[in-house]
Amino acid sequence: MKRQIINQLVCTAAVAVLATSVPSASAQSLGRGEQIVNAYVVSDTVVGGSGDCSSGSYVGDLANENASFDSSFDGESFAVGDYGTGCVGRKYGQPDLFYNYFTQGNCNAVNAQMYPSPGPVSPEVGNTYFTYQPFYPEEMLYTHKNRFHNYYDNGRGMNRTRAVYWTPPVRTAMSNFYWNYLRLPR
Amino acid sequence: MFRRLLITAGFLATLAGFFSNSNEADAGDPYAMTQVWAHNYAMDRPWHGGYYYQNSGVPQALIVPPTAHMRQTLSWGVSQNLMYPIYHQYGRSAGAPASGAQGRFRATPQWPSHTDQFGVNYVRGPW
Repeated sequence: MKRQIINQLVCTAAVAVLATSVPSASAQSLGRGEQIVNAYVVSDTVVGGSGDCSSGSYVGDLANENASFDSSFDGESFAVGDYGTGCVGRKYGQPDLFYNYFTQGNCNAVNAQMYPSPGPVSPEVGNTYFTYQPFYPEEMLYTHKNRFHNYYDNGRGMNRTRAVYWTPPVRTAMSNFYWNYLRLPR
Repeated sequence: MFRRLLITAGFLATLAGFFSNSNEADAGDPYAMTQVWAHNYAMDRPWHGGYYYQNSGVPQALIVPPTAHMRQTLSWGVSQNLMYPIYHQYGRSAGAPASGAQGRFRATPQWPSHTDQFGVNYVRGPW
């Protein structure tokens, strides 16, 4: 029993040392002032702050997997919820509100982005983005179902939106009948 | 009575067959093998042709539904109207050459003879 306690103490001290020594290396791995709506952000997670949270230090941020990475926990060394190196912490999704899409491949002489705004402009000029994901135009292209997850309260809460994109059958049938048979081709 | 019910049921079934979206894209391809093939083909083929779009100076991508499979090219002459698969699809990562160099693509000829010469190319939208 006594030995176990000593072992635990040693482990705790080691983890604490690890936890306090790591942040200086990787605190700047994500661009702090980077905007969400950037034509060249390629990530599934929000980069940069969003107003009320001063520096985007969400629990689920990649740089904040460990509690000690969070700026609000500076000066304290948490051993209970901390993970040593080589361990994968618990993550909370912070997906982008909007991201652009690009053509893929290794043989393109030029790449196209899906949302040029308003025309093909340089990426510094402007971007189009939509604030409600189920209304994305690319969702309207075909009949399908999709789910959208919105995390709030620093990843502790999740809101799920299920959207069904379909065509009303009678109206579509009538429209197809008109456009394919009745309409004069001219 | 029973006969009338039967007729009504048959009629409703016929209607449902007409109006249901039985030609979905994933029908007959449960493991999305065509997705893999298209992706592999898109990796070593450009999404654009050799011509630029007149209004922008670069090839123009025309977004089509991700369930679209084929494109058709029209040209003069018999057997010049060909169908090709649409390999390319929009993805997350930004490609390396964001904008092409000037004069890299040819202009639409004064008398176009092929639909590829207009510089508009289909790219399927993301899933």
